Amino acid sequence: MADNSVDYSALMRQALDGDAQAYATLLNETSRLLRPYLVKRLFSGNEVDDVLQEILISIHKARHTYDGTRPYKPWAYAIAKFRLHDHLRSHYSDNLHDAEDIDALENSLPENVTKNEFLYESISGEVEKLPEKQATILRMMHQEGYTAKEVAEKIGMKESAVKVAAHRAYKVLREKLER
Amino acid sequence: MENIEQLVATLSKDVTPVKSAPHPYVLSLKWLAIASAYLIVSFAFSGFRPDLANAMQNPWFVAELVLLFVLFITTAIAAAVLSFPDMHQKRNMAYGPLWVAGLFVLMILFAWLADSPSTPLPMHSLACTVSIILFSLPPFVATFYALRKLASTHLRLSSSIAVLFALSTGAIWERLHEQNDSIIHVIEWHYLPILACSVLGLWLGKKLLKW
Repeated sequence: MADNSVDYSALMRQALDGDAQAYATLLNETSRLLRPYLVKRLFSGNEVDDVLQEILISIHKARHTYDGTRPYKPWAYAIAKFRLHDHLRSHYSDNLHDAEDIDALENSLPENVTKNEFLYESISGEVEKLPEKQATILRMMHQEGYTAKEVAEKIGMKESAVKVAAHRAYKVLREKLER
Repeated sequence: MENIEQLVATLSKDVTPVKSAPHPYVLSLKWLAIASAYLIVSFAFSGFRPDLANAMQNPWFVAELVLLFVLFITTAIAAAVLSFPDMHQKRNMAYGPLWVAGLFVLMILFAWLADSPSTPLPMHSLACTVSIILFSLPPFVATFYALRKLASTHLRLSSSIAVLFALSTGAIWERLHEQNDSIIHVIEWHYLPILACSVLGLWLGKKLLKW
């Protein structure tokens, strides 16, 4: 929980004067202040951390727009809300994109879409060349032994989306290996 | 959590003193002063409409000019306020131009009803729209340049209001320069294009003011 006794405005004034210690304290306190706000609105811990990082970077970029004479919290929350909406907008547009693909693919997916039919080590070089999301999914499923459901929970995606991403990755790998 | 700690360490490590952005009122005064100087210099070259003294006898023309100036001032203040993430905690100022614009529309409507029999339309048409837009380009560029240095969290509204500020400069110049009393012409070729450009400004904000 955020400490009510923290004087954010004073810390920001000191930070604007170049006090690194005050700035670090301010950013830490701000992340403590904003974390519960994000936890309520986001789905996974990773997402909360990602958005919180975005917000702290934005606070850093916009710190010249705070003069220390007005309350700090509305200023910080305005930035947090702005970045959160940005994130949700891109998240939902990604999901929508995936959803269309899932509709198209779901019926044609084989039952054993995630079944391990190869030695991961033998193709790990090719896996690393895949887009980051696909590489992460294959690594988790075939190197670390997670099921598609567990991967979905860990990276905050739907199970069907994980399966589709894995299916696409296999297709790319198959094409590469058959060449 | 580790990432957050690392990020905080990185951001705070090389922090240097930062000069705070000017208060939005100071910022808007600066913009108004520059735009006014631009108007004065332009009138020095182009001159006022020859029948300005006569036109000032028409209360609707005076009301239109007064509201245009009020719009010019309130849009400058609102654009400055909106360029701060928290609107400098002056929410009412940010939405001020919407009230003025509403009043302006009402006034134009009454002026139109009062224009009976209708004043003859001038020979030109699109030339006015083009003049207003071209005249408004320098204030548009200068305002957006200033806005990009700040951090608006209302990109669309901020941009639309800034466009309205620039175009109100152009509209003032056109009304005081062009010899025309037809309210229909003014609605059709001055104010409707300004409204359209302000709507375009909503889209422009996402492109130009992103940070």
